[in-house]
Amino acid sequence: MLSQKVAQQSLRRLAVQQPYALRWSLMNSVSPAAVALGRAVQTRHAATSSNSSDPTKLLAQQRLNRPVSPHLSIYRPQITWIGSSIHRITGIALSGSLYLYASAYLASPMLGWDLGSASAAAAFAALPVVAKVALKTTMALPFTYHCMNGVRHLIWDTGAGLTNPQVIKSGWTVVGLSTLSALILAFL
Amino acid sequence: MASIARQSSPLLRSAFRAPFATKNVAQVVAFHASAKKQILPPLPQTIQGTMNDPAPIPKSHPTEGSYHWTFERIVSAGLVPLCIAPFAAGSMSPVMDAVICSAIVVHSHIGFHASITDYFPTRRVPKTHTFMIWLLRAFTLSTAVGLYEFETNDVGVTEALRRVWNA
Amino acid sequence: MAALRTTSRLFASSKPLFRPAAFTRSYATVDALSQDPNPSEQPRVKTFHVYRWNPDQPTEKPKMQSYSLDLNKTGPMMLDALIRIKNEMDPTLTFRRSCREGICGSCAMNIDGVNTLACLCRIPTDTAKESRIYPLPHTYVVKDLVPDLTYFYKQYKSIKPYLQRDTPTADGLENRQSPEERKKLDGLYECILCACCSTSCPSYWWNSEEYLGPAILLQSYRWLADSRDEKTAERKAALDNSMSVYRCHTILNCSRTCPKGLNPARAIAEIKKMMTAH
Repeated sequence: MLSQKVAQQSLRRLAVQQPYALRWSLMNSVSPAAVALGRAVQTRHAATSSNSSDPTKLLAQQRLNRPVSPHLSIYRPQITWIGSSIHRITGIALSGSLYLYASAYLASPMLGWDLGSASAAAAFAALPVVAKVALKTTMALPFTYHCMNGVRHLIWDTGAGLTNPQVIKSGWTVVGLSTLSALILAFL
Repeated sequence: MASIARQSSPLLRSAFRAPFATKNVAQVVAFHASAKKQILPPLPQTIQGTMNDPAPIPKSHPTEGSYHWTFERIVSAGLVPLCIAPFAAGSMSPVMDAVICSAIVVHSHIGFHASITDYFPTRRVPKTHTFMIWLLRAFTLSTAVGLYEFETNDVGVTEALRRVWNA
Repeated sequence: MAALRTTSRLFASSKPLFRPAAFTRSYATVDALSQDPNPSEQPRVKTFHVYRWNPDQPTEKPKMQSYSLDLNKTGPMMLDALIRIKNEMDPTLTFRRSCREGICGSCAMNIDGVNTLACLCRIPTDTAKESRIYPLPHTYVVKDLVPDLTYFYKQYKSIKPYLQRDTPTADGLENRQSPEERKKLDGLYECILCACCSTSCPSYWWNSEEYLGPAILLQSYRWLADSRDEKTAERKAALDNSMSVYRCHTILNCSRTCPKGLNPARAIAEIKKMMTAH
């Protein structure tokens, strides 16, 4: 009984002198109801982390370390993107050779080169037949592929032919037709 | 009671792992996430603003966007008959030859420009981008003048191609 | 008796705590005793190579780790295999998953070279072929198979994915649509934003900071096509630059890979047509 009274008195004194301290000490102690229910009240004290770095910068720092997942090297070769990359490569090859030839033709009088059609035809005629056919094929195939795939692109831009089966079918059709027409052109 | 027994069975199973799973020691293979010589590897990840800020919208320009795209398609669609015509007609008049050449030059310029925007983006390599664009402009100009010279001094592009092809 | 009842009630209340673990296990692993009709059946062992990278060792390069599973004891889907690996072989393997029925889009990853949802992707039964599992291509990796999609979501936010209108309806009630107008949204509203299509697009790989990518453009078209939306002109003006839409070169990997069978390429083609008319 006496001890209880002493405790009560000290609590009252505390309440008068430091009201906040009393509230905190009561909040942190386990409530009788919780004890009765068998549940301990969870209390969370102020974070006392020794980590003094700015937490908002932590994620930004982690991001700087992140690798980029593999892409071109692991994606399955499909007619969609392989066909598209060939379209771009053939386009650059065709236009690039035109650009190089036309610019060289412009510069030829200064450089003393003879790039006229007559000398080109003469040089080509001097080649053996196999080389002629091979050279013609390598020139014709990019042209036929780029043209036919270009038509495919123009059809897509109207909003037609965009379902998966149509795309696959038209893609292989273009590959077949361009190869065939390139061979016909080569043996012309 | 039965339900409790059934519930505990997965826990039991996890305690005694499948013999196969324990037998197999996972192998680790060194893996190259990227090719050794990567062209323009992506920069380390940085994100401006928080999750709730929208990504910035790129500035619009009158010569880019929808008009540019429509113009490009018109040129491309025009090239379809222009590519067939020489095969059908055999030889072309100088005027038609000039039309084909100019259409191809415009088409090539747009195509190269798109490639530069794709592979040398302003955001990633601003100086290289500007350099490539000016290089392209210079080359397009020299090509256009060179083709004009070829048309006026030589036999014309389609006729020259035909002669070489039949040589 | 009373004591027994209280314990049983305790059990009932604590059930949700136990449930997830039991459930995860039950769908990842086929119960060998109850469902394997032929215990002497030959084990069908398949090898899975999984991309691993740990942010706690940032200097280490990403690597491929292989795991072998008996398909007779594994569920039919790739997600089942991954969950079984995590439960029984390597708890450090990290991946996202939630609904296991293709509606949350969490388990999007690159499986055998194609982007798809692991929960909708059957394990190829050919055990001679080894499966390779990577995170979504050309994404920044948080850990193992978890990509950082923050910028993807920021791009989604930039297209204002909500109904914009200033004028109230005539009767002050909901914004009505005719069945025909509603039909235009079919094939658009089903998108779950799993980012499979965007990360399959080479254009998006090279220019993901400015090009919106197929998934966001499909969503953009979903609001452009909505008859109730009144800000179509503003939406189109925001797209009218060289990067947002016109980095699309109709490569069509997006429609090829969509695990929900949608067609982002057609949506982008429709956007381009709308922009031409504007």
